Amino acid sequence: MAKSKHAEIVVIGAGPGGYAAAFRAADLGKQVILVDKDPTLGGVCLNRGCIPSKALLHLSKTMEEASHLSKMGITYGEPQIDLDAIRAHKDKIVLQLNEGIAQMAKDRKVEWVKGAATFTSNSELRVKTDVGDIAISFNKCIVAAGSASATIPGLPADHPSVLTSRTALDLVDIPKRLLVIGGGIIGLELGQVYAALGSRVSVVERLPHLLPGTDSDLVRPLQRKLKKQFKSIQLSSKVTKVEASEGGTLEVTIENEKGTKKEFFNKALVSVGRKPNTGLLNIEATDVEVNEHGFINVDVYQQTSEKNIFAIGDIVGNPMLAHKATHEGKVAAEVASGHPAAFDVQAIPSVVYTDPEVAWAGLTETEAKDNGIAYEKGEFPWAASGKAIAMNANQGKTKILFDPENKKVLGVGIVGTGAGDMISEGMLAIEMGADAEDISLTVHPHPTLGETFGMAAEVFEGTITDLYVP
Amino acid sequence: MIKEIILPELGEGIDGAEVSEVSVVVGGVVAVDETIVVLESDKASMEIPADVSGTITEILVEAGDELKSGCLLMKIETTEKNVETKATEQRAPLTEPEPKTEELAPPEQETAFEIPRSSENVFASPGVRRLARELGINIQIIKGSGQKGRITKDDLNGYIKLQMAMSSGSASTPKQEVDFSRWGDVEIQKLTRIKRIAGERLQSAWQSIPHVTQFDEADITDIDAYRKKLKTEGIKNGTKVTFLPFLMKAATIVLKERPAFNSSLDHTDQNLVFKNYYHLGIAVDTPNGLTVPVVRDVDKKSIFDLSENLRDLSSRARDKKLKPDEMKGATFTISSLGGIGGTGFSPIVNPPEVAILGVSRSAWKQVFDKKAGEFQARFVMPFSLSYDHRVIDGAAAAAFTSRLAVVLSDLSYFKD
Repeated sequence: MAKSKHAEIVVIGAGPGGYAAAFRAADLGKQVILVDKDPTLGGVCLNRGCIPSKALLHLSKTMEEASHLSKMGITYGEPQIDLDAIRAHKDKIVLQLNEGIAQMAKDRKVEWVKGAATFTSNSELRVKTDVGDIAISFNKCIVAAGSASATIPGLPADHPSVLTSRTALDLVDIPKRLLVIGGGIIGLELGQVYAALGSRVSVVERLPHLLPGTDSDLVRPLQRKLKKQFKSIQLSSKVTKVEASEGGTLEVTIENEKGTKKEFFNKALVSVGRKPNTGLLNIEATDVEVNEHGFINVDVYQQTSEKNIFAIGDIVGNPMLAHKATHEGKVAAEVASGHPAAFDVQAIPSVVYTDPEVAWAGLTETEAKDNGIAYEKGEFPWAASGKAIAMNANQGKTKILFDPENKKVLGVGIVGTGAGDMISEGMLAIEMGADAEDISLTVHPHPTLGETFGMAAEVFEGTITDLYVP
Repeated sequence: MIKEIILPELGEGIDGAEVSEVSVVVGGVVAVDETIVVLESDKASMEIPADVSGTITEILVEAGDELKSGCLLMKIETTEKNVETKATEQRAPLTEPEPKTEELAPPEQETAFEIPRSSENVFASPGVRRLARELGINIQIIKGSGQKGRITKDDLNGYIKLQMAMSSGSASTPKQEVDFSRWGDVEIQKLTRIKRIAGERLQSAWQSIPHVTQFDEADITDIDAYRKKLKTEGIKNGTKVTFLPFLMKAATIVLKERPAFNSSLDHTDQNLVFKNYYHLGIAVDTPNGLTVPVVRDVDKKSIFDLSENLRDLSSRARDKKLKPDEMKGATFTISSLGGIGGTGFSPIVNPPEVAILGVSRSAWKQVFDKKAGEFQARFVMPFSLSYDHRVIDGAAAAAFTSRLAVVLSDLSYFKD
């Protein structure tokens, strides 16, 4: 029969949540086994998500900036695109980080088992590895098995021309015409990459907005830019059918209130959301409760209904974000090691890494209006920022939502270059309970994009001198 | 198999106790319920019995040790099989059991802490919120001392210190050491545990209750004569009738008429709890210090019953044989120094009670009888009532003592 091992703590999934959990548990003195079905550590985020997409977005953004220089007196020739070199560049970045994680696992004496894990009971896993099955019994298990791209009906999902975020990042070729199904974060990021590399990109979004749920004033500058970069942005429209023809082109049926039409594309990227990988784990062998959306139910200690099994990250629910998973992973590791930790945060930031970036944290205006939450707003348009103008980033804006009673920060929204980096100050303000004057009285360096955060608070306070507010 | 003997819960409000005697030796044989250790605690001594029979293999405590519930006392080699090894479970929750063979240990933190589901409306940074979890503090109840009411780490530390001071009954600051031998010869004697505990409680009561004392006198000439009669009767069946049962009966009569004196403030200090039972604490002076055994349901007992109760309780109090339960649940207390002397004193209320009766030495006095138009010799008992002014007003207290004086002067209340 199979080999067997025992772990004080076993972690399923070596993504940003899983390896954080494993490393934290090891640092707390536990004997840890980290199981992942991929040949490398880092999960979707590192291997086919956040990191490779950011490597490519950096290229597309730099290309865009370079071409813009012609308006400032510097002209380059047409870009020469060597897809193999780009792919190699991206893979090199991923590999470097893979190796970093593997080294850290080794340094911490975290045992890495490569294979797909399934539960056989509340205290045992079966891992299918290249060298046969291994049974791993455990005192505590942390499930960090993540999520996978969801799909829609009427789609030949297995066809090579139908891409997911994962295959799109493989950069097999640059399709002449690319359909992006779903105008969410992943669709827009990858759409922008392919557009920069030469694809004519069309986005079809079911809802009337891009980045559904995001405040429309934050989406608008991005949408303006995408309108120029993409061939079309079709909102309130639905892809009902995708058929592959003999020649490899895809015949796509798109429906909206005006009617039904057919368009032809070389490739289609399906980015309609992600679904938890709960189904791969034989979770039925345990007493872990799973909700109707397939997410594992957990409490603030990341504990499932089976007290020895914890779950973190995408598999426990939205938002499916790496930084949420990492924090949850540490909480699970600490609680499983007997420490009084809990996932007790005021907000989780979201970032869209397009150009311009869109980032928000805490309360959004959309949410406030939907739920009748009172707020007041301080907003600073980047058109009044010297730095933004110098950087050709004057489309951006920084806004802060305040509690009308105590003037504390409820939420922050930023659109513009570097918004994802700037949102951290908003997060700190929310977690620390900073109010408008705390921010406006904090000296921000000039000239920076970051000072727009202080200025938004000054607008709210009425102390702004970089704008004239009658 | 070896069974570990653990100090059980000693009862509500008793955190620890001092070992006064270890009754067994290593190698000795004990039977179930045989006393193995005697503890001196909270105004009483307690005998801890063995819960299994067997041979003592190891004794881990000695006289003078300060113990808490859950402490390992000794190990006994039992002859019984499958004795539940509660001890191991309690003592080793943090070590992971051996692989594969064990019942899976529950997460260690399960009951160790609790945090409110959300930190909504809590003005504290993430680090402070984490410290609150680690200290097991519900951060929702902490008042922030920082700017704009921010909760700081100091606030949490201050809260813990306050809790510790409150649980030990005093908020005393360290005192400066004084070398009394500079002025002459001195001797040092350790306070008994009873004195230490009583001292802390008295200090806490004195500091937390706004005390007022009302003084009065009662003409007990007739009851005293009646008591002497009963005493003679009592001697026949072996009961010594003292004056105290009469006082207890009289006090209970007035407590029934004035329920506020038989009440307590609840923990919020917002509500009064009226008690429909009359358990009187009786202060008893013992060689080790003051103890207050409780006589239950005074209203339902006869003078003879009460006399017998009192004799039993006070003799056991002197021998430190009172059970912790016998010192709890009083609704009102009587402290009588009548047998010793004095014309009046102000006793300290014994919380959560709200009043206490102090009795001084009775004496023959010339009292002018207006009706008869002459002075008469009357046996007069001076007494005092200290009360919690948050609950009882001065007028009510004066009415209480006047009424008590009336009851004590009227024999009809005591004759069945």
